[in-house]
Amino acid sequence: MLFPTTTFAIFFMIVLPVSWALQRHRRAWMAWILLASYVFYGWWDWRFVFLLMASTLVNHVLAVTIYQSTTALARKTFLALAVGFDVGLLAYFKYSGFLVNSFDNLVGTSWVVDAALPIGISFYTFMAISYVVDTYRGEVVPASFARFAVFQAFFPHLVAGPIVRASELMPQLETPRDPRRVDNSRAFFLIVSGLFLKIVIANHLATHIVDEVFAAPNRYSSLEVLVAIYGYAVQIFADFCGYTNIAIGIALLLGFKFPQNFDSPYSAVSLQDFWRRWHMTLSRWLRDYLYIPLGGSRKGRARTYANLMITMLLGGLWHGAAWTFVAWGAIHGIGLCVERAIGWRPTSTAGIWFGRILTFQIVCFAWVFFRADSFGRAWQILQRLFDAWGQASPLVTTSVVLAIVFGIGVQYVRPTALQWLELRFGRLATVLQAACLAACLVVIDALGPQGVAPFIYFRF
Amino acid sequence: MRLPPQSAARAVAVCLLTLIFAAFLNAKGMRKTAEIQQPGLQRAVGLAVARPLVGVSSFLYLTEPRHGIQVALGRQSWDAIDTQVRFTLPPARPHPVKPVAPVRVPSRHRRAALPRFTAAHPLRVWVAGDSLAEVPGQGLQRVAGSSVDIVGVESRLSTGLARPDLYNWFLRIPAAVRQLSPKVVVLSFGADDAHNYLAGVPKGRTVGPLGSPSWNAEYRRRVEGVTRELAARSIYVVWLGLPIPAGSGFQHSFPIVNRIIESVAKQNARSSVYVDTWHMLDDAHGRYTPYLRVHGKLTLMRLPDGVHYTAAAGDLIAQQVLGRLRTRFSF
Repeated sequence: MLFPTTTFAIFFMIVLPVSWALQRHRRAWMAWILLASYVFYGWWDWRFVFLLMASTLVNHVLAVTIYQSTTALARKTFLALAVGFDVGLLAYFKYSGFLVNSFDNLVGTSWVVDAALPIGISFYTFMAISYVVDTYRGEVVPASFARFAVFQAFFPHLVAGPIVRASELMPQLETPRDPRRVDNSRAFFLIVSGLFLKIVIANHLATHIVDEVFAAPNRYSSLEVLVAIYGYAVQIFADFCGYTNIAIGIALLLGFKFPQNFDSPYSAVSLQDFWRRWHMTLSRWLRDYLYIPLGGSRKGRARTYANLMITMLLGGLWHGAAWTFVAWGAIHGIGLCVERAIGWRPTSTAGIWFGRILTFQIVCFAWVFFRADSFGRAWQILQRLFDAWGQASPLVTTSVVLAIVFGIGVQYVRPTALQWLELRFGRLATVLQAACLAACLVVIDALGPQGVAPFIYFRF
Repeated sequence: MRLPPQSAARAVAVCLLTLIFAAFLNAKGMRKTAEIQQPGLQRAVGLAVARPLVGVSSFLYLTEPRHGIQVALGRQSWDAIDTQVRFTLPPARPHPVKPVAPVRVPSRHRRAALPRFTAAHPLRVWVAGDSLAEVPGQGLQRVAGSSVDIVGVESRLSTGLARPDLYNWFLRIPAAVRQLSPKVVVLSFGADDAHNYLAGVPKGRTVGPLGSPSWNAEYRRRVEGVTRELAARSIYVVWLGLPIPAGSGFQHSFPIVNRIIESVAKQNARSSVYVDTWHMLDDAHGRYTPYLRVHGKLTLMRLPDGVHYTAAAGDLIAQQVLGRLRTRFSF
């Protein structure tokens, strides 16, 4: 079930009031929200609901066992079992085809693995790993099975994040949400802005320039290729930020607070700054469960660089089973190492703007590998950037340029301006709020393309 | 300064009122969404709600703001529902299918007699169809040299020749041909047609389920109509067959569509050709496989849904299409 559909609107109009009505009856509420989450997930493919249930069961049993074990060896063993199970799930469903194919092409065999990719598996598996690791570290006390099941399957974050940690969501699941304290204005603002980013900006750029140019770059001029690369940078931001805005807004309406996932990433002054602003919940997951356990920056300069590279390469691979994603991670990893080596921390206005522009160019360069379906195509795109200037560029239209300018410009809008809008909206009467929202929905729908395009991050 | 939190009851009320208001403002869009559903309870309920909504909304001029935006964007026809299957030519007389000789690359002598296209005067090719048209179209853009101009790749999700109510290709194809002047049209239809329901059936005629004689006859009428209309404008049609799918359901339904398209192409062999993607993408045992060996390298050809193509498959199909075109044109 996709957020921007009538089906989801009907689904949510059933789930929302019942959820609030059952708040004081915790067991009934959990059963209701779990059922709703499984229906939401099963709408794509009901068979994968059983996979999600299996992941919940195994991780819960092992987390409880870790908590109850008295010896360090037993705790470590059960942790290894849990992490092994989760990584194994990912390895089979997400990477087996890629790994076997890479092996085939290396040694000339013809083995084929064809496992269907369950939607959202990367997200709910990372949440499960954080839960068992936090339990092992003593930061989390295992919850009841039902509460852990809701934590993992809660539909607003289930298929594309944000990756919520147990310490953030479990306490909220424990106590009834206060029906007098719902951040409506913020929720509606996030939902509408998310829909606009996804349906209008991301879809417009995808269908009017990005998909065409990335499919056959040699047919297009250098200007079109350049605009398509910037267009993709804005498209993926609008697509993913749009999705998480809607997810956070929906959770707020249900009374839950999710962590922020984007903070104007294209205004970053360095790559390190970029990763503090882009997909923030994944960045901190990689930091807390990979980079720091590897030793972080505590074991000397060479180990720090190695740890950065390992973290970014695996972060790249998390996004997709292809060498182009590894290359994307490598570009970011090398960039982070260079920044650390030269101690890049701009303070002057000129330095900050130089940093912003340079960081954006590096990020866009890396997006070429992220978006291209092969190294060959990525190379064609980069080559085409230089050898077809002066040709006609019919794909570079006013609407495409406006969408890109909007997508980049929005990164520099002060949060206070948005809060002012929220405040104004919140002071309106209920009927006027609904009228404003309805008008926004109709405008967004009219400006968007026919049909609903899937979100990019669903694939990951 | 932050606004104090509000109540859950207000959140529910705002959500509900928003949907009601949006339904009135978007009544015509809702009617179209309901209309294009498959027959059944969902469609019946949708229409029962949407039709009176359109009446009230139009009476109160609430449909005007959306219409105004659509007019400004040149999308005024988006809410229209046109189920007509229109052809200007009378239906073809049935005649026995003649076997067609296998495709051969023309000799140098024959090649000289073929219409010649160059970079200065390229062969104009338009690719259109459902979601399966996109990747082969992009493959053609990559593979074709400068003497072939891919004037457009128009791929519309979940559309086909069975559901003109959803998207009317019988109107779009002649319009695109007038606008783009292609010499060749590559069409990929059928993946979303292989269902029991056919919209736009002539009045007084009933159509049975997929594969029944009446369904086959009506679908054939449409494929044949498109082919003949294009042929009448001296446009050569390349029909892409449906590829072997992973799912057993599609393995039953896709061949029904393929047989019809192949038969029409054979019957109109002077103006059309059928490209068999089924056997192009199956394994040595005639089964579905996601990978094929291309230039000695095991290459992923199909997306995880078991239907759609990867770029590598698109390139392979594009090469086959160009091979077929070389028997008709010199470029």
